[in-house]
Amino acid sequence: MEKNGDLVVQTEHLTKCFGKLVAVDDLNLEVRKGEVFGFLGPNGAGKSTTMGMMLGLISPTSGTVELFGMNIQNYLPKILQRIGAVTESTGFYPYLSGKDNLDYIARITGGISSSRIEEVLKLVELSDREKDKFSNYSLGMKQRLAIACALLNDPEFIVLDEPTNGLDPAGMKEIRELIIRLGQEGKTIFLNSHLLHEVEQVCRRVAIIKQGKVITQGLVKDLMKKEDILQIKVNEPERAMTVLKNIDWITSIVREDDKLLIGVKAEKYAEISSVLAKESIFVTEMRAKEDTLEEFFLEMTEERIND
Amino acid sequence: MIEMIRAELFKLRKRRMTWILLIILAAFFCLMFFATYGITSSPPDRMPGEAVDAIRASLQFPDAFNMIFSTAGAIGTLLLIILVASSIGNEYGWGTVRQVLTRRGIRYYFVISKLVSFIIIAVIGLLISVVIGFILALITSNLIGSINWDFMTASYIGGLFEKFGWTLFSLLPYILMAAFFAFLGRSAIAGIGGGLGFYFIEAIAVGIFNQAGGWLAKIPDYLIGPNVDALMPSSLFTQGPFASAGTLPSTLNASLTLVVYCVVFIVISLYMFKKRDVTA
Repeated sequence: MEKNGDLVVQTEHLTKCFGKLVAVDDLNLEVRKGEVFGFLGPNGAGKSTTMGMMLGLISPTSGTVELFGMNIQNYLPKILQRIGAVTESTGFYPYLSGKDNLDYIARITGGISSSRIEEVLKLVELSDREKDKFSNYSLGMKQRLAIACALLNDPEFIVLDEPTNGLDPAGMKEIRELIIRLGQEGKTIFLNSHLLHEVEQVCRRVAIIKQGKVITQGLVKDLMKKEDILQIKVNEPERAMTVLKNIDWITSIVREDDKLLIGVKAEKYAEISSVLAKESIFVTEMRAKEDTLEEFFLEMTEERIND
Repeated sequence: MIEMIRAELFKLRKRRMTWILLIILAAFFCLMFFATYGITSSPPDRMPGEAVDAIRASLQFPDAFNMIFSTAGAIGTLLLIILVASSIGNEYGWGTVRQVLTRRGIRYYFVISKLVSFIIIAVIGLLISVVIGFILALITSNLIGSINWDFMTASYIGGLFEKFGWTLFSLLPYILMAAFFAFLGRSAIAGIGGGLGFYFIEAIAVGIFNQAGGWLAKIPDYLIGPNVDALMPSSLFTQGPFASAGTLPSTLNASLTLVVYCVVFIVISLYMFKKRDVTA
């Protein structure tokens, strides 16, 4: 039944159409055990539909989703026992207290003790408000309850859809730290977030989806590495620009405050230092330019729009 | 499955709406008994003496049991439609259906546990109705005259259980219909609108069909309302504004027709819920 023990999620040619709209188009994803995986994309890109298919809420039009090596269509109940999910709408009963909501979920899940409910409420710091009605919770408290709910069954795989929505900076930091901690505990996390700074800090790998298609995926550090752009700091930037402009293997040169961004192949980095030194211009800092994930995301998605 | 049913009942118990509907049920019973008593204590001049006697008898034991069951059936139907439709429809509105389905992958568990919990609530509601009605009938019986308990034989008590069963059975098609409309429209409004709409429009349609005569007068035999009336022949409502004026179907016809409706509503609800995507 369980095929590849290392893969927690594997989608193959996953496609979902709503009438004529292709929400997810031939999606191939792999999430490995113990990985914190970021799933990014603009609104309407197909992220929630993909998550819906992973959780058995939406049937694929074609293709397959396997979790823990088991096909979701055949083994959904078994798979769900190993999953915790925070879905887009937090999904609690407004007339029940936070604790009663978790109690209800624990009853339908089965095998969850009342001490575990107390434990997760404590973890998300809602113990002192556990008897308040869910309708009286702030947005941040609702999100924290959703995370507590996702952790109830101590899942191996956690799906988080915008978990920091509505949280203040301190709350966001707490959730970020919680995700990192869960990742360190060996849990596999699938994080859907618009907050790219968050994803950059907590995720090892990401996939970017646009109009239902994955346009890129890979390690965060690799994606952020800007190929062929060297960033240097020198004691005389004006003169350095003049010198470097005359070199034919430099494709571009831009000044950003006291830094110069030079378009050049990696193998020529040392030569730049040498050229400048001959002109008595001294390099104080030299490194390959890296994008932030946000810059990379915008570049990827906007590029495709312009196409 | 049992845990899911218990969890559903836990939610219904904690929900304020359940208790408000229970208060409405009790208030309606009080209104029925005391308003009827008011009519009998100072009847309109043109009301025949036999009619006054018949109404007065309905407030005294043993006839009061008919009043209790018919009142419970009528108001119970309306209140259960509201409760069932809200309970299912709000699952979509609050997004809790997603939460539940990401816990339990077997979708029909969700539908079945809901339906079973509604039937349990109907049984409890009917029991409460009997208790409230019994207390009210004690009061009105004593106001009208003394109570003679000689009628309360073992076979009469058995008959009361039978009436209880038929009343409960007559509630089922409406419970399942409200559930069906709520699942279909994925909202409480759809369930309440569909359920109550059908209840009232059917009553008007039955009157029209019966007036039309011919083969049209046969159609009510296959609708819900006349068959419910057939199982509760002593219902005050068979003589009221929603009365089906034609001949009532046989008990066998009524039972089979209502069973068919119940099965159809359950099967379509299950099929729809299983097949449809649950989106945000």
